[in-house]
Amino acid sequence: MTNGVLVDIPKCVGCDSCSVACKLWNELEWDPQEKSKTATDRAKEPNNGLWPEEWTSINRYDLQKDGSSVWRYVKTQCFHCEDPACASSCFSKAFQKLPEGPVIYDQSLCVGCRYCMMACPFDILRYEWKKAIPGVRKCQMCATRVANDMEPACTSVCPTGAIIFGDREQLLAEAKKRIKENGYVDRVFGEREAGGTSWLYISDTPFEQMRFRTDVTTMPLPSYTEGYMKATPFVGVGWAAILAGLYIFNNKGKEPLD
Amino acid sequence: MESKTGKVKNLSRRSFLKFFGGASLAGVSLNLAGCGQPITAEKAVGGNGWMPTQYNEPGSWPTNVRGRVPIDPANPSIIRDDQKCILCGQCIEVCEKIQSVFGNYELPIKSEIVCVNCGQCIQWCPSGAISERDDINKVLKAIADPNITVVVQTAPATRIGLGEEFGMPIGTNVQGKQVAALRKLGFDVIFDTNFTADLTIMEEGTELVKRVKGELHHPTPQFTSCCPGWVKFVEYFYPDLIPNLSTAKSPQQMEGTLMKTYYAEKQNVDPKKIFSVAIMPCTAKKFECQRPEMTSARKELNDSNVTPDVDVVLTTKELARMIKRAGIDFTSLPDDEYDQLMGTGTGAGAIFGTTGGVMEAAARSAYYLITGQQPPASLWELTPVRGMEGVKEAAVNIPGFGSVKVAVISGLANARKVMDQIRAGNAPWVFIEVMACPGGCQYGGGQPRASSPPSDEVRNRRAASLYKIDTNAKLRNSHDNPQIKQVYADFLTAPMSEKAEELLHTHYISRAEALVAKKSERNLY
Repeated sequence: MTNGVLVDIPKCVGCDSCSVACKLWNELEWDPQEKSKTATDRAKEPNNGLWPEEWTSINRYDLQKDGSSVWRYVKTQCFHCEDPACASSCFSKAFQKLPEGPVIYDQSLCVGCRYCMMACPFDILRYEWKKAIPGVRKCQMCATRVANDMEPACTSVCPTGAIIFGDREQLLAEAKKRIKENGYVDRVFGEREAGGTSWLYISDTPFEQMRFRTDVTTMPLPSYTEGYMKATPFVGVGWAAILAGLYIFNNKGKEPLD
Repeated sequence: MESKTGKVKNLSRRSFLKFFGGASLAGVSLNLAGCGQPITAEKAVGGNGWMPTQYNEPGSWPTNVRGRVPIDPANPSIIRDDQKCILCGQCIEVCEKIQSVFGNYELPIKSEIVCVNCGQCIQWCPSGAISERDDINKVLKAIADPNITVVVQTAPATRIGLGEEFGMPIGTNVQGKQVAALRKLGFDVIFDTNFTADLTIMEEGTELVKRVKGELHHPTPQFTSCCPGWVKFVEYFYPDLIPNLSTAKSPQQMEGTLMKTYYAEKQNVDPKKIFSVAIMPCTAKKFECQRPEMTSARKELNDSNVTPDVDVVLTTKELARMIKRAGIDFTSLPDDEYDQLMGTGTGAGAIFGTTGGVMEAAARSAYYLITGQQPPASLWELTPVRGMEGVKEAAVNIPGFGSVKVAVISGLANARKVMDQIRAGNAPWVFIEVMACPGGCQYGGGQPRASSPPSDEVRNRRAASLYKIDTNAKLRNSHDNPQIKQVYADFLTAPMSEKAEELLHTHYISRAEALVAKKSERNLY
């Protein structure tokens, strides 16, 4: 069983409780400049409102629906891929997908190469450029809470039930039910995107208009390289064996050097 | 140097391979010994902070109180500092349960964050994260400009709240000190909103009599319209009952209009150079003064350079901050008098500041308007409408007219119940007073925070102070106010005259489009 979170975008009222909960639970710093930005500002930011001390951001999109203008708030954070590209790209194994769902990051193992940031299909990871010993920052899906059978901080505080935590399979079924009942867009974003993600989104307005990366592959990203990267140890050992053999063959009967 | 270089050992091929072979073996054995184990949840960054206990339950059990109310960053009345928020959920409690705003509209939202601007969330917020929008600098700028006449009015309830900010007992009447402080701060003219409270009674009372007699094509019961939070609530949730709202403006807006018309004319001041400030116990007043309808002076004078009738509203707390910043020793100030023309109010005007006060004041003057006689002493102490109960009822006997049933409501959840009853055609009342905040203006969103959470004890003490002002007043009926008589004689002719209609009455807009009202009694989302 793996956990997930279902984000019902039309149910969000933009209270920002979740991002405050994230700040509280993870002891993330406040920045006066970032604090003055509104949900509308953040929606237009190149970084989507995410920075090393902001692991989740509520962004407001002013859209048109049935001829009238509507506001939709979108919670952004790490999607927690089922088969995460960040973890597969990390040669020091600082990233790990936990069986409970969260994709976590251990800074003590990180060498700071930022391959993970290149690998992430959703551009979620942020690097602590301003720190002397920088690390990579992103939502950890409150790994210790989830591992101890609690829900993540953000979902625990949502007053409208716009974000709910639970078993991914059950949430997926619930999402499909809600799509049918409420006439939402017929797509669960995260069901198959990047091979499936723990966070699932449903909406009554097109995902394209809310800065979702809708053209992302449905293949798990590590699967692109898995085929040949798997051969690396065999190639390495094979080459070593061949070279060693050649050496022995060439030096047969000769006096050792030195 | 030479000796050192001489000691350098040549690294042989064999020892090089030995070294790396050894290091690899050590690495492999460390790995096998468990050093390369997958990282666990505890190793993840973050997660060392704190959350209120209600959120630290196993599983995803329902929580009694969750999260906080949404506040639009563009809200004219209320702002929130996210850094101070602890997600205790008190704002949600008051907004949903006491004021019945949050959670009473369907999701998804449209393009507005529904808010009646009452500011009760400010009073309930334990960490001071929510506060009124600070407009002090706008006022300081106007005061600093020698070409601008800054005219200020003070609401009935600020005088019994302001002292608390300076350590005085709850409900202390600091009317004289408040005027003295305003003068020291540099306000040019200081008027009393109690005057327009009396004027409101004349207009609203006349309107009520006309409604009851069927001279107006407006339905009964008539609702009071002094409370901008209540008015916005009707516009959001009961647009079909808008015709029941009295068209009379609130005292604040009447005073603002008269500052730029009546006062400007009498004192020969250029209305374009009048900056009108209102000191209010209320955050919704900040919204009210920005309503596009509230520009009667501009329309009347046909001059687009005249600013809105009330330029800036400051809450009691903001005034206290201004006084503290200016270094004025408030408690030792000698009492000062309001400026005249619009600076005299009756006891009836003073009790506008508490729940039931408008009703009591209206009863006294309605009696006079109908019978032409002074009201009996029993109307000077209309006890059924006093006190902190959410819904109060009374019957007022008016000779030749019979018994008039009235209701007094404070707190919007209470209003919702009564409104649903009216919608069902089940309303015996003729006149209904509604104040959005429980207890009325004296516990409004702009009033000082008591040391304890919002409680009826504080409300009762503040109300008692207002009733004391009324009891000690020389004049206790709005219609006896000499300045009211003067304004009608010199300027407005009569209650609900054409000019009075133009300047002192307004209209309302349906805000039903902004939301989908929740139909059933379903709780939460």
